[in-house]
Amino acid sequence: MFIINCPYCGERDQTEFSSGGEAHIVRPKQPTELSDDEWAEFLFMRKNIKGIQFERWNHSHGCRKWFNVVRDTSNDKIHAVYKMGEKPPVNK
Amino acid sequence: MLNFETTVQDSKSYGDLTLSEVEPILKINLRSNKREFSTKIGKLLSIIPPIEANTSSGNEDYSILWLSPDEWLIYSNKKTPYEQQNLLEENLFNNISYTNQGSVTNVTDHWVMINLKGSKIYDLLSKSSPYDFKNFKMKKGSVAQTLLNHTDVILHNIDDNNINLFVRRSFSEDLWLWINDSARFL
Repeated sequence: MFIINCPYCGERDQTEFSSGGEAHIVRPKQPTELSDDEWAEFLFMRKNIKGIQFERWNHSHGCRKWFNVVRDTSNDKIHAVYKMGEKPPVNK
Repeated sequence: MLNFETTVQDSKSYGDLTLSEVEPILKINLRSNKREFSTKIGKLLSIIPPIEANTSSGNEDYSILWLSPDEWLIYSNKKTPYEQQNLLEENLFNNISYTNQGSVTNVTDHWVMINLKGSKIYDLLSKSSPYDFKNFKMKKGSVAQTLLNHTDVILHNIDDNNINLFVRRSFSEDLWLWINDSARFL
């Protein structure tokens, strides 16, 4: 259990949020030209790092907005929270 | 408009704690990210939708709750018979939806409003909510969207120890039973 500082509503308990997985995965510009393996790589393959990870979160039981979180998966410490479309405040 | 009957239609008191469903109350959901939207709503209702998070604005007749940076909930402070509800909805719809300024949805039958009064309401809510009520309690007009017994609720602080709770109609009976069950042990 940890507290997430929603960029719109402020500090709330983790139970109000849902995780949206890894952030900053760019959709390929020409999906039709990709091989099945490359498409599967984009669609399914995600990193599962022990350490600092860039994630998407949704405040599903609050303002229902998406945002990004920089979280250390080993101790759930949140290093930064920023809105969708903004650049990460720490180097990715 | 369909006229659903709500599942609660009850009022109970436990010591100085009073719980009651208030209906019929007009509720309208507004969504917009247009710049002129605020002034349009201001002209129509003489209330400006709040921009600051977790706050509300209102006058004698209506309150507007902040739900999200581009979403608000209007509700009537007085009981509004179903026949009169269409007037405001139509007015807003013609001025906002028709002119592409945003969307207007009548959610009267979607939300059930329960009024909670008494000094122990925050003890009751804290029994099963992850929300920290410290600031909410102090500031009249505060709004919080959170979970209560795993159910989504919108809370509006209308006065000291007096709040309105909005719960989705399909969850209202379950939450009402839980609230009553918990209130017995306060």
